[in-house]
Amino acid sequence: MLSSSRSFRWLLAKEWRELLASRAWWIFLLLMGPLVGVAFISAAGTYAELSAGGGAGEAFSPLVGIWAPTFSACELGAVFLLPFVAIRVAGGDRQTGAAKIEMQRRKAALLRTSAKTMVLGAAWAAGMAPSLLAVLLWRSYGGSVALPELASVIAGHLLNAALTIALATVAANVVEHPSTAAILVLAVTVGCWIVSFIAAVHGGIWERLAGYTPAAMVAQFQHGLVQLEAVGVAGVLVLAGLGLGGIWMRSGVATRRRVVESALVCAGATLLALGASSLRPSWDLSENRMNSFSRADEAALRGIGRPLSIEVHLAPEDPRRGELEQKTLSKLRRVMRHLEVRYVSSTSTGLFEQQNEHYGEVRYELAGRSTIVRSVTPESALQAIYALAGVEPPSPAPEEIFRGHPLAAPPRGAALVFYGLWPLGTSVLAFLCGRRRS
Amino acid sequence: MSDGLDLEIRGVTKRYGALTAANQVSFTIRQGEILGLIGPNGSGKTTVLECLGGALPADAGGIVRGGRVLSAGERLDALFYLPDGIAPWPRLTVEQSLAFVVAYFGGRRELQDAIVAELQLRPLLRQRVGELSKGQRKRALLAAGLLTSQTVLIADEPFDGLDLPQTREVAGVLRAHKSRRTMLLSIHQIGDAARVCDRFVLLSGGQVLGEGTPSELAAMARARGREPATPELEEVFLALV
Repeated sequence: MLSSSRSFRWLLAKEWRELLASRAWWIFLLLMGPLVGVAFISAAGTYAELSAGGGAGEAFSPLVGIWAPTFSACELGAVFLLPFVAIRVAGGDRQTGAAKIEMQRRKAALLRTSAKTMVLGAAWAAGMAPSLLAVLLWRSYGGSVALPELASVIAGHLLNAALTIALATVAANVVEHPSTAAILVLAVTVGCWIVSFIAAVHGGIWERLAGYTPAAMVAQFQHGLVQLEAVGVAGVLVLAGLGLGGIWMRSGVATRRRVVESALVCAGATLLALGASSLRPSWDLSENRMNSFSRADEAALRGIGRPLSIEVHLAPEDPRRGELEQKTLSKLRRVMRHLEVRYVSSTSTGLFEQQNEHYGEVRYELAGRSTIVRSVTPESALQAIYALAGVEPPSPAPEEIFRGHPLAAPPRGAALVFYGLWPLGTSVLAFLCGRRRS
Repeated sequence: MSDGLDLEIRGVTKRYGALTAANQVSFTIRQGEILGLIGPNGSGKTTVLECLGGALPADAGGIVRGGRVLSAGERLDALFYLPDGIAPWPRLTVEQSLAFVVAYFGGRRELQDAIVAELQLRPLLRQRVGELSKGQRKRALLAAGLLTSQTVLIADEPFDGLDLPQTREVAGVLRAHKSRRTMLLSIHQIGDAARVCDRFVLLSGGQVLGEGTPSELAAMARARGREPATPELEEVFLALV
């Protein structure tokens, strides 16, 4: 009796050996050190300079000041380096002919896709090690580490890597040659940038679509915001990508059948993604609650219970619209279940709408009453909503005010770690692994 | 693993646009025999094997056993296909590759040492597959194929890359394993095919021209008015093609 678990263990071991022998992975690993180093040293240096200047407050949140820039190196790695490693692992067997042999057992596509995904996950985890070294260095300087917000950043980059791996798996299995697969993956990345650009200009449905691009998803996590909606949609996309990869991995199946099966997977994924996009639960894991109103305000807003409608007369490229969306509306969406936001503008920049007397207005409507405000600050929005609802504005508890964690310590030793020890260590390891195999 | 039933290949057809690479190819693989698929270059041998091995989707036809068409899963359980011109697992050693094949396919671990010795792979066990010569790699792949547990082993050009002494040795190894494996071998060197196979299927232009032992094929040639110069397989082949 052929045991799937035994076969799977051997597949895992084989894929791991192939990964250890892959130059693409060692180069990826080697480059991640200096990439993270540049980001961390620059961020920690700036943080130290600002801290030395005195002061306290939101500016001294390690989440914004250290982790977001440091881990942004992982985003670069996921976009420009990981695809090549993933395509090498996912599609290398087709080039050597090993796939023709390995596909000759039942459940081969499932087993092989799972094993390759797990090995690529481990490959990515190793690539994130320099970022974790940065955390240790930061701690050694006496810096503050809030684990929930750090976990949020790490989770975002893991999910982003999973999306890249899924995309690379599809590309490596659909097209014949790895270079074509690489171009396909980069084309999707560029496509996402284009969607974000169009969203910034035109808003509307593009803005909603841009919210599901990997860059937008990572940005949420980097702010300590975990939204079930984003996790759900990303999860569906990852599974769909791996499923499509499995469909096209199979040999001996007519192209027409594979196309039909792919269409079914895409249709199912679209339905599931639509369902996931309506999931509302979210968690603000940032230490300074940067994605939330104060607890007192949240309680008061939840207590209103009636539908709130907001009409915003601001163009997509107007910076006030971005500020309103980021600092007020995104927070409102998290606490008010019946919230409808409508953007009104006839141009993308708003430059030529200034003569329109309504341009710049934010109209709040609640329980048949309405008010118009021209300010886009959270305070003005809350004031308008409380006034419409006839609710007394709560005063925030003093312990809720985030004082920040200033740290005037330069990033000592970081350059040695990231530019010296890490490249040296990975080079030695790569050499030793090569020797052990030969 | 033997079920005592022959496999019937029925009407296998594969088209590439206007080109029909295999046209209604039908023959029988008898239990316990070594069947040679012979034919000139471009006759469709590899296409037929790839369709049987599940590497290519056939446009028509299938494999019948005991009067029933095998499903894709049953075919995987019954046949193992060893393609030609592949260089799998280049970074694994020969030893690791064979161990992988045994574990992954539920192969015959107990035969591993014997097969390694028969194919003279012992000095190569610690060498990476990617560093082997063509002939060495072919022997390593044959070892992998012989270690699998399916009833039928299909091999495309098993002697390609081997010199004459090696061809003879490998032919001997394959004959020695005939008692436990039915084999379908695609061989374009007629002399090599005659050395190892019991019966032959002659393919030309994607069609089966004849099936049987050399004497049966010679009779077919005579029946078509083409008397072979000698009863040797090569002459019979030339008379039929």
